[in-house]
Amino acid sequence: MLIYSLLAVKDNPEKLNAFLEGLTGISGSGLYAVRVNEIVAVTGDISRAELLADTSNALVFAAIIESLMQEFPVLPMRYGSFLESADAVSRMIERNYEEIKQNLQLVENKLEFGLKIFCDSEKLKTALQPISETDATISQNTGSEIHTSVFREYVNTKLKAHRLEELLLSHVDKVIAGITQQLDRMDALSKFKKIVAPATVIDGVFLLEKDKKEELIKAIKDLQEIYPGMDFVLTGPWPPYNFVETTIK
Amino acid sequence: MSNNVIDQSKDITILELLDRVLNKGVILTGDIVISVADIDLVYLGVKLLLSSVETMEQLKSGKRALLK
Repeated sequence: MLIYSLLAVKDNPEKLNAFLEGLTGISGSGLYAVRVNEIVAVTGDISRAELLADTSNALVFAAIIESLMQEFPVLPMRYGSFLESADAVSRMIERNYEEIKQNLQLVENKLEFGLKIFCDSEKLKTALQPISETDATISQNTGSEIHTSVFREYVNTKLKAHRLEELLLSHVDKVIAGITQQLDRMDALSKFKKIVAPATVIDGVFLLEKDKKEELIKAIKDLQEIYPGMDFVLTGPWPPYNFVETTIK
Repeated sequence: MSNNVIDQSKDITILELLDRVLNKGVILTGDIVISVADIDLVYLGVKLLLSSVETMEQLKSGKRALLK
């Protein structure tokens, strides 16, 4: 059985059964609930051989989880998670019941958003250049050993490039700090990655209360105005794919 | 106002979606089994496909585990 998602049903498990009757799984397969107390695994009767990692199947998989997310707190399963039978699914839930429950509580009434910030590193460096050159001049006046060396020009060029890289990283950190400050006001969880390459990319994911969605959109719009040289791309709302990375032993 | 901020770019959205579906979420030890239909995914990004296959291999060998 393919497992799409784990979710919490509290007072009204019948609501889920009615909901699943209206959905169709990958390759037209049916969807079934395997329930242990308040936790349900939504499964599909599709064989392992039938499950291809192609775009259309991935879209169906994601669409089912997103539909469930509209009504229930969900922990999305990774694509391709199989167990051999409903009994095996029940045993898996029983073994991990408390851990699953805690994770479901963490994501209840929350949405995930993704933010990608793109900018041309060379353009940004050009904009930051005057600051870097000021620093380099100071260095030239104070670094007497380098000043007298035959390698001075080489060292200064390297030093200038290094300072420019440092300024770029510092600028990226400043942007992330600005976003984090806004997110802290919304009690959001966040994760960031930064890549400084020809196209600098800041990759962030946030988990925040559903009713803070408009506040987040406004905050990102304000930040876009502060940094017009960078392109802010906000995606979502997503199920909490990036916030269920808990190791259960 | 929302539409100005939330980018509807299809390519980015599909890549974001595939990254989440294939590389994130709760996983079951040793039970991630898929067949990779490379033709459909290659145009979206070989890097993404390779990273996903690598992840699947790690899962099969039990190097990454979230649920037992």
